Amino acid sequence: MPMQRTQVLFLVKFFVILIAAYLLIAWNPVNDNVIVPFTAGVAKVSGALLQGIGQPVDVSGTVIRSARFGVNINNGCNGVEAMLILLASIVAFPASLKARAIGLVLGAVVVQFLNAVRIVTLYLLGAYQPRLFDMFHTAVWQILVILSAIAFFLIWSARVAPARLATRG
Amino acid sequence: MPRLDWRLAVKAFAGFLVGLAVWALLSPLYNRVIAAAAEKTLRLFERPPVTQLRPAADNYVTVDRSDFDPRSKRPAIPLHDLTFNVILLTALFAAARRPFSDRNIGGFLAAAAALALTHVLGTVVEVMSIYVAKLGMWSTIHYSSFDRNLWGVASHFYRLVLMYAIAFALWWVFRDSGAEPARKRRR
Repeated sequence: MPMQRTQVLFLVKFFVILIAAYLLIAWNPVNDNVIVPFTAGVAKVSGALLQGIGQPVDVSGTVIRSARFGVNINNGCNGVEAMLILLASIVAFPASLKARAIGLVLGAVVVQFLNAVRIVTLYLLGAYQPRLFDMFHTAVWQILVILSAIAFFLIWSARVAPARLATRG
Repeated sequence: MPRLDWRLAVKAFAGFLVGLAVWALLSPLYNRVIAAAAEKTLRLFERPPVTQLRPAADNYVTVDRSDFDPRSKRPAIPLHDLTFNVILLTALFAAARRPFSDRNIGGFLAAAAALALTHVLGTVVEVMSIYVAKLGMWSTIHYSSFDRNLWGVASHFYRLVLMYAIAFALWWVFRDSGAEPARKRRR
C-alpha cells in the first residue's frame, strides 16, 4: 500500500532535520564547546555511578579509568546519536510546540539514563569479561539505546498524534 | 494515555536477540557478499579499475589497489561495524502485532534488501574515506581538500547516525500498517 503524503513528508522532514542537526554538532566550535563538555558530564555521571557500586575509578575529561580498565567516551558513545534520532523524529512529527518540548526533554532523559547504564555495563565488561566487550560495545548497547529512542518516539507520537498520522490509512 | 505495551516490548527484544544471533552467525558470509558488491561498485568509477576488497579475519576487509606499492601496508575496514543496523531493523519488525503475517514478513524482506544496498554504499563511502585521507602523501596527491571533507563527513555521518536512521526509515516505509506499535490509539 502506498504511503500517505503525510508519512512521506514526515520522512523528508526527518532526514532534513537529521542532516542539519548532524552538521551543527559536527561543526568544530559546537563540538568543542558543547559536545565535548557534555560528554565529560556523561563521563562524570557514569563515573559516579561506578564509584557508587564500589568501583575504584577516576574520571578525567571524557575518560573513566581504573587500574583494571579504562574507557574513553567518544561521539557515538555519549547518547548524542540517539538524541539526534529522537530530535529529528519528534520535530518532524506534527504536534504542538509544548508537546514537542516535553517529548524532547523526557526522551533525552530516557536516552541518557540508558546510556549511563550502557557505560557502566561496558566498563564492568571490559574490567571483568573483556571477551564480551566488543560485541556489547559495537552491537548490543548501541542498538538498545537507539531502540529506546525510537520506542520513546512511538509512544510519544501515539499520544500526541492525530490518528491518521499514527497509521497508514 | 498510551503506555508501553509490554507484549510489544518483549517481541521487540526477542527480535533484537534473533537479529543479533543471525547477524553474528552470518556476518562472515554476508561481509563477503557486501565486499564483492562494493568492489564492483568502486571499480565502475575507476579508470583503470584497481580496487580490490579482500575478506580478512575477524570480519575485516582489506583494502587493496593494484597500483599500490606491494611493500606498503594495506588498510582494513571492520565491515561488521557498518552492517549491525540489521539488528535494529529486525527488532522493529518483530514488534509488530502480527510479526509472522505475510505482509510483515514481506515488508521485512523488502526492507532488508534495501538495507543491504545501503551496506554496499556504506562500504564504498568507507573505502573512499580511506583513499582521500588515510594514505598519507598518496591521499594528498590524488584528492583535494574538498574530497577529504566530503567523504570524511559522509563516513562519519553514516557511522554516527545515518545507519540507524536508515533502518528506522525502512521500517517506517515497509511496516505492516495493521501491525506497527504506533497503531495503538486512544478511543
